[in-house]
Amino acid sequence: MTPVLAIENLHLGFKGYTGYTEVLHGISLSINPAERVALVGESGSGKSVTARIILGLLQEVRGATIRGELRFLQHDLNSIGTKHWRDLRGTRMSMIFQDPTSALNPVFTVGVQFIEVLRRGSAPLSEAAALSRASALLQSVSINDPERVLQAYPFQLSGGMNQRVMIAMALANNPALLIADEPGTALDVTVQAQTLDLMNQLVASHNTAMLFISHNLGVVREFADRIYVIYRGRIVEQGPTAAVFNDPGHPYTRALMAAVPRITGGGIADIPDTSDEFLQPCVNHGSAL
Amino acid sequence: MTALLSTRNLHKTFGKKRSLVHAVNNVSLDVQAGECLAIVGESGSGKTTLANMLLGVYPQTSGEITLDGQQLPARRTLVHRRAIQLVQQNPLSSLNPRRSVGASVRLGLDVYGIGKPSERWRITEAALEEVGLPAAFRKRSPSALSGGQRQRVAIARALACQSRVVVLDEPTSALDVLVQARVLRLLDRLRRDKGLTYVFITHDLSVVRNIADRVAVFNAGVMVECSDTRRLFEAPQHSYTRSLIAAVPVVTEAEMQLRNTLAEESSK
Repeated sequence: MTPVLAIENLHLGFKGYTGYTEVLHGISLSINPAERVALVGESGSGKSVTARIILGLLQEVRGATIRGELRFLQHDLNSIGTKHWRDLRGTRMSMIFQDPTSALNPVFTVGVQFIEVLRRGSAPLSEAAALSRASALLQSVSINDPERVLQAYPFQLSGGMNQRVMIAMALANNPALLIADEPGTALDVTVQAQTLDLMNQLVASHNTAMLFISHNLGVVREFADRIYVIYRGRIVEQGPTAAVFNDPGHPYTRALMAAVPRITGGGIADIPDTSDEFLQPCVNHGSAL
Repeated sequence: MTALLSTRNLHKTFGKKRSLVHAVNNVSLDVQAGECLAIVGESGSGKTTLANMLLGVYPQTSGEITLDGQQLPARRTLVHRRAIQLVQQNPLSSLNPRRSVGASVRLGLDVYGIGKPSERWRITEAALEEVGLPAAFRKRSPSALSGGQRQRVAIARALACQSRVVVLDEPTSALDVLVQARVLRLLDRLRRDKGLTYVFITHDLSVVRNIADRVAVFNAGVMVECSDTRRLFEAPQHSYTRSLIAAVPVVTEAEMQLRNTLAEESSK
């Protein structure tokens, strides 16, 4: 089976006032069709930059040096041009950002933004056809009054509602890969649980492969088939979700797990700021497939 | 025993006539000295409105708030304001970006007249050290600090005023889980060491379970349940509380079981 996404030995560095700083030190990961993979780590570990490299957003930043192999479906992402890459974004690969209210454009209605997304994907589409498709898609994310939402501006909707609009837009063109960067963090717990459930169902019914980025192992547990734990630009543990949760092999994974407060009580874990143990080599649980 | 801080039949409405919203509806609760009372609910449940009334940001529509048995007036004096301090959710927007960290912490000392002017830098540095930051950080600007360090500064600012009650409005929801664990431990230690009283506002019940003595659950401006933390998690009375607990992301098997039992009970 050819993976949807394969990253091999990815390095990223920035040139700045103080010289060259390497941020990613050789990351390898792969995602199979219809597989849900989580990339988990603390802030500053390199999760979001990895997502931006896959989308080709960081390649355009001056001072950023990227090395390594990137394959998406049959494309070698290092050799395709910016135009080709732009054609892939929003159609074959799409992304859900952390804060939906700032990811949507505040000066256009949801409807206008939705039509733009749909027109990128398929052959010329009349406005009426696009709107009716948009309202069907909004209904599939449990928005009961799609006509009102299409006419509304993002700031007139709640955070949970905006996040669902983003999900509907991201899946509108049936992408092969969906990247979700901390999709629940800006929402409160109940809305987060509903949003994740919904995303889970949709990804399964569309057969979309998914890269789920988060800092919270609790959020990932019910959601991902496979987990990569990243620390300071290195993958420190990877394997099927059950294997990682039942037998976390790397000290950093254990720290990350201990950091999630338990609803059964037991106090708050004491986690050191840094530890030499965290830099131990990667623990590999193999692949479930 | 009389409570340190209490509210009686507290009401707050916004808007008029047809657009009238009851943001906080008939809330009576007591906060004992030295305890950590958690206020829990989803967005829009009235948690922050309650906090703003406790702090005197705006007056209540009706009802009363008492501190140490004395009724708090709508217009607070310096003494009242000093007694109840706030730590906000997002330290990046709650700290002035044009002011050094030390100047932000010291401002409270100047306003409330705490210590002699010549001693105030020393008090500021002591407050920073208390939250685990080096004293030299006082010259830095907030933009040179990480999210966790900024939140520590916000905590130091509340501590430096030697307040009785600290209102913590979602103090860790902008932080990642590792930093959250460190900040929560710090808050817990400070409360024990200094005998502080916390009103801890959050939507995250897993945090509440590990830091609060008592929990008040809010839904649409109404307090639906208030009990001991342990009792609330082992035998929640209200269906809304059960649904809140069931939404918490969990990592261990024991937690899964607790959630499943609660889900079964609420479906009965």
